[in-house]
Amino acid sequence: MTRVNTADLAFGLFLMAVAAVALYLIAELPMGSTSRMGPGYVPRALAVMIALIGAFIAGRALFAAGEAFPDIAWRPILLVGAAVGMFGLLLPRLGLAGTAFMVVLVAGSASKDMRWRELLLIAALLSTFAVLLFVKALGLPMPIWPVV
Amino acid sequence: MDLIANLATGFAVALTPANLAFCFLGVLIGTLVGVLPGIAPITTIAILLPFTFTLPPASAMIMLSGIFYGAQYGGSTTAILVNLPGESSSIVTCLDGHQMAKQGRAGPALAIAAIASFFAGTIATIIIAVASVPLSALALKFTAAEYFSLMVLGLTGSIALAHGSAVKAVAMVLLGLLLGLVGIDVNTGLPRMTLGIGELGDGIGFVAIAIGLFGISELMIALSRPQDRTLLSVALSQLWPSRKELKDCLPAMLRGTAIGSILGVLPGGGAALSSFASYAVEKKISATPERFGRGAIEGVAGPEAANNAGAQTSFIPLLTLGIPGNAIMALMVGALMIQGIQPGPQVMTAQPQLFWGVIASMWLGNLMLVILNLPLVGLWVSLLRVPYRILFPAIALFCCIGTYSISNSQMDIGLMLLFALAGVFFVKVGAEPAPFILGFILGPLMEENFRRAMNLSRGDPMVFAERPISAALLVLTALLLVVLILPAVRAKREEVFQE
Repeated sequence: MTRVNTADLAFGLFLMAVAAVALYLIAELPMGSTSRMGPGYVPRALAVMIALIGAFIAGRALFAAGEAFPDIAWRPILLVGAAVGMFGLLLPRLGLAGTAFMVVLVAGSASKDMRWRELLLIAALLSTFAVLLFVKALGLPMPIWPVV
Repeated sequence: MDLIANLATGFAVALTPANLAFCFLGVLIGTLVGVLPGIAPITTIAILLPFTFTLPPASAMIMLSGIFYGAQYGGSTTAILVNLPGESSSIVTCLDGHQMAKQGRAGPALAIAAIASFFAGTIATIIIAVASVPLSALALKFTAAEYFSLMVLGLTGSIALAHGSAVKAVAMVLLGLLLGLVGIDVNTGLPRMTLGIGELGDGIGFVAIAIGLFGISELMIALSRPQDRTLLSVALSQLWPSRKELKDCLPAMLRGTAIGSILGVLPGGGAALSSFASYAVEKKISATPERFGRGAIEGVAGPEAANNAGAQTSFIPLLTLGIPGNAIMALMVGALMIQGIQPGPQVMTAQPQLFWGVIASMWLGNLMLVILNLPLVGLWVSLLRVPYRILFPAIALFCCIGTYSISNSQMDIGLMLLFALAGVFFVKVGAEPAPFILGFILGPLMEENFRRAMNLSRGDPMVFAERPISAALLVLTALLLVVLILPAVRAKREEVFQE
């Protein structure tokens, strides 16, 4: 137990930050009147409501003891995240065959009980399967091999 | 009889070889993801959305809806045999279903789950067909004010039924509404919150958000939990329940179907809630409540009927009003819009083939599911032996390919990653993502109708209270809010979600 409810505090602050960014981004947009609303009217109303509710949640959290912020398992988040990022960066240049292989390798290593040999085999199989299904059968416009 | 003519139209569409194949594919995939814990139907539908682009609208919808109700069947198999809910809607099936399996009655438990599901699916199909015509007719009278009030009711419903804190659910809805507005304002052509990025002019990609929040982030979270499954080696010697068991189950199935049909239509409702409610009712009215949790067959029949009925009737608001009642229906709206169809009451008259075809396919799909699930149950169980470490890299890859294929955009992959990380954060702080996705879909629609209604009334907000249907919807919303705030109900609600 902690003295403040850290999870709620984090969520409340997150909401306030999102509202602040939104209000900054729409600062230039005209409000209009209630009968002829401009593009800024509804987003601004929503952002203010989000800020208020965020302040409420964060404020309430300061006075309520709660569980400590839940532990975060970074390994799967980083590795799966990296695999996704790699897909976006590599695909247009490396082609689907190579990208799929890499993505499966990186994502697959996120599991605690992974075995390298098995993973290499799965990566090769999935890469072949993806090329056959998505490019050959479904005709998605993606390069298969590296683009020079 | 219009109903029969309409259903005939529907069956003519659903019975074409291509659509039968898509229906079969949908329920097959649905059963598959239903059996496997860790892959939810919402994830699957999100991943498959992009690949339905090239299909005709009816085939796409037939397949996607098959995944949804198919998962309700598959989920119960895992619940009964492994004591793991394949889906959130089969959590209560674990209670008595698995006990029955331990007592050597796995066969009757599986059979009654399938029979109850099929029974409920048949009735729910008829309910959809009967209810949709008058509802669409009513909806055609709706003006901007009614639509706005209806969406307020829908969003309030999703808040009331969200797990965990209601305040956080409100925040998630508002967040969804706000992000839904990113893009070019349709009335003025001015870009809003696009950070000057041209690609964001059309708004944040719906598929990228959905797959990020429900696909990738689920992987990241699931991998941090231990992945152990103990399979109960069951001998399926006797499959059919005895005549007495069937007789005991019939009233439970009827009540379950009724509960599911009603809760499914409610905004925010659907399969999971229906099964919880049905189990509570069966336990309460039973002459021997102490049997529940120890292998009472009614405790399987009722909830299984309810979750399937709820899954299907949750299509009613979508098909007739164009308003999605839960996150999966929001994805269906996405699927329709990708096809260039604006969901709404006009779909029934403008696209009768699509409308009635989807409804008729639900009954055919249910029939296929009984056949898929009873004789082939052994096959599905062996699937559970596939370790998660082999499954999840494949899911990650398909998520990427699906999102990228929408518009061959690297930015969509970036957005997906961003929302995956946000999804992990939301789960960690106890804020459910389902109300967010509902808000995101309804954001632009709500703003447009709000602005139009206020414009027509020359800025007088009383327009929402003066029009009778709109006023009635707002009164319902207010009642829902009052009920939500009442301390007794609040305690009860938390208790229900605790179980």
